[in-house]
Amino acid sequence: MLLKLENIYKWVNQGGNRTFLLKHLDLEIDEGEFVSVMGPSGSGKSTLLNVIGLLDGFDEGDYYFQGEAVHQMRDKERARLQKEHIGFIFQAYHLIDELTVYENIETPLLYQKVKSSERKALVGDILDRFNIVGKKDLFPSQLSGGQQQLVGVARALISRPKILLADEPTGNLNSRQSREIMELFKELNREGMTIVQATHSEFNASYGTRILHLLDGSWTDTPEL
Amino acid sequence: MIRNYFITAWRSLRKRRTTSLINLLGLTIGFACAVLIYLFVSHHLGFDDFHTDADRIYRLNTDEETDYIEYEGSVPPGMANEIRNEFTFSEAVARYADWQEDVLAVERDGATQKYRETLAFVEPEFLEIFNFPVRGGTPDALEAPNLAFITEEVAMRLFGRRDAIGETFVLGNTETIRVAGILDPLPEKSLFDREILVSFPTLKVYSEWVTSDSFRGITSMLQTFVRVRPGTDPAAVEAQLAALPGKYRPDSKNIHHYRLQPLLDIHLGGLYPGGIQERILWIVSLIGFLVLLLACINFINITTAQSLNRSREVGVRKVLGCGRHQLLRQFLSEVFLLSLFALVAGLLTAWLALPYFNDITGLSLGFESLVNPGSILFMLGILVLVTLLAGFYPGVVLGRIPPVLALKRKLTQRDSGGLRTRQVLVTLQFTISIGLIIATLVVGRQLRYAVESDLGYDTSVLMLPIPSDLEPRQLESLKARLSNHSAISQVSSCFASPGAPNNIWGTSVRYNSRPEVEEFAIDVKVADRDYLGTFGLDLVAGRNFFEKRDTVDEVLVNRTFARMVGAESPEAVLGKEIAVGGKYVRGRIVGVVEDFHDSDFTSRINPVFIAPEPGNYGEFAVKLQAGRLREGIAHLEKTWTGAFPDLLFEYEFVDERVAQQYATETQFLTLGKLFSLLAIGIGCLGIYGLVSFFVAQKTKEIGIRKVLGGSVTDILALFTREFIGLVVVAGAIAIPLTAFLMESWLQNYQYRTPLEWWVFALATAAVLLITLAIIVLKGSKAAWSNPVKSLRTE
Ligand SMILES: Nc1ncnc2c1ncn2[C@@H]1O[C@H](COP(=O)(O)OP(=O)(O)O)[C@@H](O)[C@H]1O
Ligand SMILES: [Mg+2]
Repeated sequence: MLLKLENIYKWVNQGGNRTFLLKHLDLEIDEGEFVSVMGPSGSGKSTLLNVIGLLDGFDEGDYYFQGEAVHQMRDKERARLQKEHIGFIFQAYHLIDELTVYENIETPLLYQKVKSSERKALVGDILDRFNIVGKKDLFPSQLSGGQQQLVGVARALISRPKILLADEPTGNLNSRQSREIMELFKELNREGMTIVQATHSEFNASYGTRILHLLDGSWTDTPEL
Repeated sequence: MIRNYFITAWRSLRKRRTTSLINLLGLTIGFACAVLIYLFVSHHLGFDDFHTDADRIYRLNTDEETDYIEYEGSVPPGMANEIRNEFTFSEAVARYADWQEDVLAVERDGATQKYRETLAFVEPEFLEIFNFPVRGGTPDALEAPNLAFITEEVAMRLFGRRDAIGETFVLGNTETIRVAGILDPLPEKSLFDREILVSFPTLKVYSEWVTSDSFRGITSMLQTFVRVRPGTDPAAVEAQLAALPGKYRPDSKNIHHYRLQPLLDIHLGGLYPGGIQERILWIVSLIGFLVLLLACINFINITTAQSLNRSREVGVRKVLGCGRHQLLRQFLSEVFLLSLFALVAGLLTAWLALPYFNDITGLSLGFESLVNPGSILFMLGILVLVTLLAGFYPGVVLGRIPPVLALKRKLTQRDSGGLRTRQVLVTLQFTISIGLIIATLVVGRQLRYAVESDLGYDTSVLMLPIPSDLEPRQLESLKARLSNHSAISQVSSCFASPGAPNNIWGTSVRYNSRPEVEEFAIDVKVADRDYLGTFGLDLVAGRNFFEKRDTVDEVLVNRTFARMVGAESPEAVLGKEIAVGGKYVRGRIVGVVEDFHDSDFTSRINPVFIAPEPGNYGEFAVKLQAGRLREGIAHLEKTWTGAFPDLLFEYEFVDERVAQQYATETQFLTLGKLFSLLAIGIGCLGIYGLVSFFVAQKTKEIGIRKVLGGSVTDILALFTREFIGLVVVAGAIAIPLTAFLMESWLQNYQYRTPLEWWVFALATAAVLLITLAIIVLKGSKAAWSNPVKSLRTE
């Protein structure tokens, strides 16, 4: 088992009222799974992914990552865990505008203090693999949406994470580009990568090996359509 | 990693071009100011520290105690020999009499060349105490009269060759002086800048008293220096010297206290006359720091305001595993890079501004002063300081933004480092600007007051030097010839003008045969009976004196004198006897003149005494007909050169002298104005940056308001409200603070302008107006823009 959420609650207090963003949530994910989280806008998909990805905290419940109790960790350990084991892909790509394709992909390695020669090799491999060697010196603004997301995926993979978290990765893409990214995910999954994606597209969700439905911060068996 | 930091820094600076430029410009100005001020301050530190044993060299000073204490950088002429003969604490003692400027005549190639040179008379020990390397000749030569040491430069100028030993020049038309030694060029940072050192005995011809062993009085032209034996305690020396007044001036009401002032302290003045007030260095440094601080504040404000825009990048980096420290380091490299550019630009600016700066400060700094190790160290220091000052807070703020929020772009002003912090910083900027404006206005007003006030005498009078060897009879006939033109109203022969003299000549006075001398010193004005008419001095009682050729027996005093001897009215002193300076003058008071300012505005009006003494006239005072200056001066020149074909014709107006008394203040004011202006300029840049940013932020709000029917003024009010409040708060802080500081500065002046409320109001209003102008300039564009367009872009 890669990770396990037990009875997770997350809330915000607004004007004296407590609004639950995640409520009584359990989740187990094994290595090699490809989970699609579905749900309408505002149901808490992003919140859940952020919690899993250690970008955001939660208020109650236990979270184990590879058997380690995340809820008992100090900030520093959590940051290390996130840096080493989690890769993120965003709907809005979130590439750094001031950096070239090459530098964007290289950035996570810099933060992990990987040696320069090794960095070169790793980035070179992934550029090769994604067929974007020719674009390595371009800036994000010079790329199409699909290409930008491809770079986003490459960047998420460069540090060999245990799990890839994708928050509506195709939300800004047309259907052909979407399909390409989904095919890529499928292939990565087949190679052993654990993936969790949030989406509200039935079609995209169907690439997953397991589909979960979220509504108002809780799991539901009967997806509202 | 570092390389990556700098690449990113460079690109993001380029991306935010406007703000980078604003920041760059502000920091450039800040650095340029800081560098110039550093040069100014460091120039004034370490004067004369190149002399070996500088720590054992002292100047002998006198505290003159009458009804108040006057601090003089001088002792009676007799002190030097007294120390030589009677005391054991000294290794060497030397007198140094500054002669300022005189005319030197040199025979060269069969013609007489004339030069104006400054010079000093020194005893041989002077070159023993101080390390001014001697090129040729032995200092002992200065024992005998009519010999001199000159610097190489002077040798080149006067004689056209370096080795000028044996050459001669004629000093002041009378004394032939032979060059006995050559000195290396003088170090710049020294009290002593006279390049012609004439042997002390020569001075006897010009001023016997200064070369005597008298303890009667002191003159500021004479300074006495001593090098004490190692281990000597200056306080013990002062205690030994304390017996001297009792021995040599037992009856004097002007009680002398002799002091030892360390050589290294002299330039920074203190109580005694020196190069510059240490306080001025502090104030100038403070201003420099404030200007730099303003630039940093700009940077912080603009950057934190903008961090809203940068938050996405920060969020992404955090998701990619960037820690807070790495983020801070990245941000600091960005600031460092910008500061580095600014430093280079600032250095260039400072270099270009050096001639102008030298002009203001009277220094002669060159490029080499910018690149010496001290300056470079200072620059690296401020580079680091500014990087930390300007970069740390925004860096921390950026690092604190939670990545989830940052990626969602759901940020508020609070996340971006707090509206409050920015308000405090902007208020601080306004406070500094308002404070500087007030200070500049107050200092300017006081100086104008001092220079332009009615000083009680006519300052449009022209002064013409009288050659020292003129017989009284010749003088009378020359005076008659000078007066003999319709453009000349009146001419008086006198020792000096009523105010702004080079030396105030104060001495003791005995009134009405009282057994004791009075407890104040009297200011002696030696002049003929035309003095009153020429300078427009009014009599309040009695009449003018009649000329008497041999002994003076009719004298005038001023109103203050009458008051200080306790007379109930000026009339009451008429006919009373007066004796000045022991046996110097004995006479009867025949008239009382209205008070006039006999020295600058830092001193009270002294009791003054006016009497004729034909042998002691140094200047003609000439009152010219209004509007006929040129004609009058032409006549003077013709008459003068007719009488003295060998002498330079030179004159000076009294109002120029009055202004010269405030030369340091004027210099200081010019610097103050300049830096205030720059400070305000930087402040404006900052406000411009902030307003542009708010305008950009509020484009949508403006659009909505316009659609809802808001007018342009409503929308401008949106921006102004915030800033007006801050200016008002800044005024409320700056006004009491500067009022206090300026009040204490004005205490230096016995005659001063009051602090007027409008000065404070004006300063605050000026800052307010400038701010409003910027807002209107920048804001109206947004306010006039088409709302549909701005809404669509959102
Ligand atoms: N920090 C927060 N404060 C208040 N409400 C929040 C916060 N974060 C998310 N929400 C709310 O929680 C709900 C879930 O949001 P989100 O996880 O983004 O949903 P989804 O990604 O499924 O569209 C939304 O209604 C959102 O407005
Ligand atoms: Mg979402």
